[in-house]
Amino acid sequence: MKLKTCRRMALILFATLAAWIVIGCSVARDAAIMSARSSNTSEEPDLRSGFVTPQARKERLGSHDEEVWVIAKPPEERLAPRFDEPMPGEGQLMARRNEAGKKLVAVPLKHTDVKASIIGYIASVDVRQQYENPYDEKIEAVYVFPLPQNAAVNEFLMTVGTRKIRGIIRERQEAQQIYQQAKQQGYVASLLMQERPNVFTQAVANIEPGKRIDIDIRYFNTLSYVDGYYEFVFPMVVGPRFNPPGFTDGIGAVARGARESSGQKTQVQYLAPDKRSGHDIALAVQIDAGVPIDNIDSRNHQISVKNLRNNKAEVSLKEGDRIPNRDFVLRYKVAGESVKPALIAQRDGTGGYFTLMLLPPEQLKHLPRQPLEFVFTIDVSGSQRGQPLEQEKAATRYALTHMGPEDTFQVIRFGNTARKLFDVPQPADAAHVRQALQWIDGFDATEGTMLVDGVRASLLFPHDQSHTRYVAFMTDGYIGNEAEALGEIHRCLGPARLFSFGVGQATNRYLLDHMAIMGRGAAAYLGLNDDAGQIMGWYFQRISHPAMSDIAIDWGNAKVHDVYPRQLPDLFVGRPVIVTGRFEGELPKSVTLRAKVGREQQQIEVPVERADASFPPALPAVWARMKIADLADRATYEPGIDLPGQIRNLAMEYNLMSDYTAFVAVDSQTKTAGDHGTTIAVPVPVPEGVRYETTVQEAGNVQPATQVN
Amino acid sequence: MNRVARMFMLVTIVLVGGAVESRVQSPPTLPATQASSVRFAWVDAVIDPQGQPLAAYQFELKAESADVTLVGVEGGEHPAYVEPPYYDPKANLQNRIVIAAFNTGEDLPKTRTRVARVMVRVSGTGQPRYSAKLDVCASSDAKPINASISVMEGAAQ
Repeated sequence: MKLKTCRRMALILFATLAAWIVIGCSVARDAAIMSARSSNTSEEPDLRSGFVTPQARKERLGSHDEEVWVIAKPPEERLAPRFDEPMPGEGQLMARRNEAGKKLVAVPLKHTDVKASIIGYIASVDVRQQYENPYDEKIEAVYVFPLPQNAAVNEFLMTVGTRKIRGIIRERQEAQQIYQQAKQQGYVASLLMQERPNVFTQAVANIEPGKRIDIDIRYFNTLSYVDGYYEFVFPMVVGPRFNPPGFTDGIGAVARGARESSGQKTQVQYLAPDKRSGHDIALAVQIDAGVPIDNIDSRNHQISVKNLRNNKAEVSLKEGDRIPNRDFVLRYKVAGESVKPALIAQRDGTGGYFTLMLLPPEQLKHLPRQPLEFVFTIDVSGSQRGQPLEQEKAATRYALTHMGPEDTFQVIRFGNTARKLFDVPQPADAAHVRQALQWIDGFDATEGTMLVDGVRASLLFPHDQSHTRYVAFMTDGYIGNEAEALGEIHRCLGPARLFSFGVGQATNRYLLDHMAIMGRGAAAYLGLNDDAGQIMGWYFQRISHPAMSDIAIDWGNAKVHDVYPRQLPDLFVGRPVIVTGRFEGELPKSVTLRAKVGREQQQIEVPVERADASFPPALPAVWARMKIADLADRATYEPGIDLPGQIRNLAMEYNLMSDYTAFVAVDSQTKTAGDHGTTIAVPVPVPEGVRYETTVQEAGNVQPATQVN
Repeated sequence: MNRVARMFMLVTIVLVGGAVESRVQSPPTLPATQASSVRFAWVDAVIDPQGQPLAAYQFELKAESADVTLVGVEGGEHPAYVEPPYYDPKANLQNRIVIAAFNTGEDLPKTRTRVARVMVRVSGTGQPRYSAKLDVCASSDAKPINASISVMEGAAQ
């Protein structure tokens, strides 16, 4: 009896160990990564001296020929920028970057290094942020940065010299309290908080002059598969958000060194257009597609592609393209019709998990669609001024001239308020199209972003039962009140479908993707280098055939539960959907998908695959992240339920970042002298194509986009 | 022996042989530098595998007489355990501190070695009395080890 009890206990303990090691990734993989990174330590500063001399810095930075900046004062005086200056670092520059004459600004974030590994449609991404104090006083560095909106962040390490400390997931308020206490007492500490599913704040306390502290973050996410291409996205900068009057829970946009607060919970400092920081980024991606790769391209960056063979490829950013001011978007096409609906299952000590990629069947392409009621909604806020607005107009022009004779349409613009072209939707005849083209030609983008008004104007008018309403909503999504907008879509949608179009180089993909989820449509992205007609053409192609709706999955005898998204979306041609869930016992060899296409019922068999040993241990984290996203979406329209509590517990159990959890790491061994120093925000450039003067709050000014009516 | 086989054996030994448990009261802790309601310290966990190669461990750290919170964890001194070990997030939810690591390599410690440095926040004026319970300890040939564990507190001056 005693032996039996002992064995049972051992089984539980070891299963638990296996589970949380899998949740936190494999030790062996960690060891390999850390080992690879430790080989780079020759680049690290000599921390023993406690101070980096200007000469040493010059020599070190000299290896980057395009970027040389040194502190002006001689080393013996050790007078780096004083923190009572309005702009720490400014005026200390002796050299300028060798391009465009932009003044370089010293910032405590020196470099970001991204290493991604893709197997199938799961990406495992390691992000290293190298903080270094260029000043002569102790500082706290604070950096607001983006990650993909579906990133399951489940690992956090702080490296102080050669010592690595694993951060601990805690309830957000408790993590903040621990961090503040450690900071006040002079300990080196770090805190990672989630402000939005795609916006994070990293704080590092008590960085002594010349010292370097590295932060390593790991996340998993699923790739999207759009029109035959897999798409890996790594966002590099948070765009300046508009916050409606009276709203304080948003993300403020202020000028670098601003003493005044934006009044928002989170604040991003932006560099003026004539300045750039010394912060740069390196990025490398290893792809194992599992099937032959036909074509690889990057929409916004110059890349090098190596070893493109055996279903694999290695991609990296080119040396000359490392300014983090736009999304990195890597697309690769796999050969022929090799992507098929498939279910991948994985087990760990906590049970079984699966992901299922649902692809619409090819035969949908042979069926014509019914007449539609098109709504084209255009963002004319200040952040869209210039190129983004021109892209919106070009896409809308294409759409207006490609509707069918039986379609009807409406055009809506929103800025400080929303206005529509017609009282009611009109037939897509030549006269009405001409009228619409003239109207959009006169648009300028100088206003605020009252996106909720745009949602209401697009959805809240009498519905013509004979035409399904399809809303094409074009915006960069730069707002702080995302939850309000998503809740409004849920309330107003009815039988309509909403398709979001992210326009720009660094759009708010969290909002745009979730607008499409809430709108039961799909998201598409229109970069400034894209052909707007082509992107809108793909949209028209997608909706030229009926979608699969009322989808249900027959799991056979398998015990499947906690499937997300809870409400399966419609399936459009070229746009698969990833579903994740948990299972007990054994899965069958295939599952059956049943759906309506028009008035007919269709049925598809989906084979079940088991993940092999090379597949990353990602499915538990991916499942938990999707469940958290589902709970967060529900929280936008079900405020009475304790959904935050459910999110918090789930995130704690799966070691995940969320709105209600945070990672904290304290080095109790490293207590620095003196008080905790000055807080220095890491300023960032405005995204490429976004105008600083129409989006960033200068000292003493109200938010610029609210000034114009 | 390849890594998969080794892992399988490590799991098997625990299932067949049960966990090796060792409980050692920590030595007297360092005096607090000053009376403070909150302070930070570290706790070193040292395992003596009694001449056997230490391939896996899991222990629970307990503290009496004070409120102790896990705020970070660092690896040990032997190359096999120099990387930060993992903590159990479920235990963390219950304010318990459970730490574990394994290594499938050839170079494993056989003598007394520090396997982890646990960073903690100590709340209240009481002096915590630490103890550790070794839940899992296995050798590279997947056999349970009759190992011992000791813990001791340190604090930055």
